[in-house]
Amino acid sequence: MDILLQQLFNGLTIGSVYSLVALGLTLVYGILHIPNFAHGALYMLGGYLTLTMMVYFGMNYWVSILISILTVGLISVLMERIVFHPLRHSTPIQHKVAAIGILLFLEAVAQLIWGPDFREMSTPYGQAVTLGGVTFTWQRLIIVVSAIGVMVLLYLFLKKTFTGSTIIAMAQNREGASLVGINTNKVAILTFFVAGALAAIGASLSSPINLVFPGMGHLVILKAFVIIIIGGMGSIPGAILGGYILGFAESIGATYISADYKDIIAFVLLIAILSIKPQGIFAKGVA
Amino acid sequence: MKHVGVMFMFGLLLCVLSACIDSAGNNGEESAEADNGENIVNIGFSGPLSGASAYYGENVLNGLNLAVDEINEEGFEVNGETYRLNVVALDDEYLPNETASNARRMVQENDTPIIFNPHSGGISALQVFNEEENFLIGGYSSEPAITETGNSLTIRIPPSYDGYIEPFTAYSMERFGDKLAALPPVTQYGKDWAEALLPHWKEEGGDVVYNSSIDFSKDTDFYTILTNALEEDPDVLFIGGPSEPTAKVAQQARDLGFEGGFIVMDQAKLDEMKNLAESNSYEPFEGSIGTMPLVNADYPGVPAFVEKYREEYGEAPGSEAGFHYLTMYIFVEAMKAAGTVEDAEEIRAHIQDGLDELPEDKKVYVIPSIDENGGFEIDVRYGAVEDGDIVPYEGE
Repeated sequence: MDILLQQLFNGLTIGSVYSLVALGLTLVYGILHIPNFAHGALYMLGGYLTLTMMVYFGMNYWVSILISILTVGLISVLMERIVFHPLRHSTPIQHKVAAIGILLFLEAVAQLIWGPDFREMSTPYGQAVTLGGVTFTWQRLIIVVSAIGVMVLLYLFLKKTFTGSTIIAMAQNREGASLVGINTNKVAILTFFVAGALAAIGASLSSPINLVFPGMGHLVILKAFVIIIIGGMGSIPGAILGGYILGFAESIGATYISADYKDIIAFVLLIAILSIKPQGIFAKGVA
Repeated sequence: MKHVGVMFMFGLLLCVLSACIDSAGNNGEESAEADNGENIVNIGFSGPLSGASAYYGENVLNGLNLAVDEINEEGFEVNGETYRLNVVALDDEYLPNETASNARRMVQENDTPIIFNPHSGGISALQVFNEEENFLIGGYSSEPAITETGNSLTIRIPPSYDGYIEPFTAYSMERFGDKLAALPPVTQYGKDWAEALLPHWKEEGGDVVYNSSIDFSKDTDFYTILTNALEEDPDVLFIGGPSEPTAKVAQQARDLGFEGGFIVMDQAKLDEMKNLAESNSYEPFEGSIGTMPLVNADYPGVPAFVEKYREEYGEAPGSEAGFHYLTMYIFVEAMKAAGTVEDAEEIRAHIQDGLDELPEDKKVYVIPSIDENGGFEIDVRYGAVEDGDIVPYEGE
């Protein structure tokens, strides 16, 4: 029984991180209609910026996260302005090539600035606690709670504010949105900012339980793609649900089936869901 | 806010520019051949300089460069002519196919008599054509197979891991108990290690209660796999991989209440693991047994090397840097003894002379001899963490 509870908690932790990353990816997909491969690099930059603020400027963990969110958000916006915006009339393949180019560029820059070695981000929340048979560190609890908090805020922003609903409108129908007077440029900038911020939050929260290194984006980005395909490309509830499905599939599957088949379980799940609902659990446009 | 963005772009631009200047400088060096009547010997290096293993590759290269810079201060004499060395380094991202194409390029463009490569896959790829193209492989891998294939121009620099299996098993079994959970990394090297260790553990009367592996390029969190491993109540965990993630695994095992010992694969270094611990102490790794950290080793050349390395790179060297530093010196001595800087076969034939001629103060490790297959024969030394300190042990 204990092991089940422990693994459920482990799945919840890892699922929260997956969901945050997948949310950013799915939001951008709604606007660009291409998978933004550079999203993993934004995740990595988020980790490094928080680490830099903490280690070199001696700032508090939360202040560092805030700075990291703003900076990565800005980088994400710059990416849209400098690369994707000028490409808006070209074919999707050019977007994809550009996204991969940005990914490689940012990784090389990170390696140049911070070096190729693994860095540790230590927070004041590292102590282990055992409660009702479940062992966790405060950091893990913070990951779960903050991730859920961020998701609720994002939901409220998209559904209850006017600015937020312009993002949904544009994801549903770009031309329709411009016809009713939505400034698509502004919305694109806003979406990229939110996506960058989500990547920074995900990285800053999860780095203390792993390490910060130039390739860290790869850990989550492939999984984030699986998630948004499971959940339905461009769907927000899909990204959240998909993230937790994958998180639980990994932890429970590793326990009761086999640790060696952990990744296979995730991909079998992907195939099973796609053969029943080819568009993903939440079909496109529901957002 | 806009200002910040502009500043950032400016910063990026600067970085990019400085990178260009850097690489331009390197190219210049390469072509600076025989300007003032001097002869240059190009030494090839192919290793991971980007991607997940970039840190490892850079450490290797740092050790090599340090030796080359020292040797170049004076140059060295072969057959009455003074030579200097030039390192040609190419990135292979840890991919054997890239290693092979890098090597072909280096042999054709730079006439490198020696090519260093720090991973078993790359070494095997080079062995396909090195005898034909007449270059010596400086292979840094403790995989015994690389010298068992009978390639006449391969040098295996570090001791083979075979030597660790027995003492590690004996130590851990006696101190902690006979239940082992194996969590090696998902690399060829990790699998080979496990295949050597696990049968021996069972032969000695032990029990392998959990056997899986960790993929450091995919697993974001190790709690899941550790929870399952610890459920079987092991006395000893077998872990490994790059030092930092390995340390993370050990630390999370402690979080989850594990109190036994660790058998640490030779890829991870105890001193580098310590740097990652929050307390910067060996405390979380109590009961670990692994290779002896270079900085703690008492070989004659260690203090001077550690000091020089710190001065140059601002951190303590790992064993891979030390071994490459040393090996470069051995190769130079071998070239002198062979009387050639080109003929790889002759150089290989005189490696033993190189080992004998090596100055005492360069002995970062003591290597008395090379076996007929090309493996350096080194007395196995290892260290265990006892009461928060490294205690040295010596193999027979």
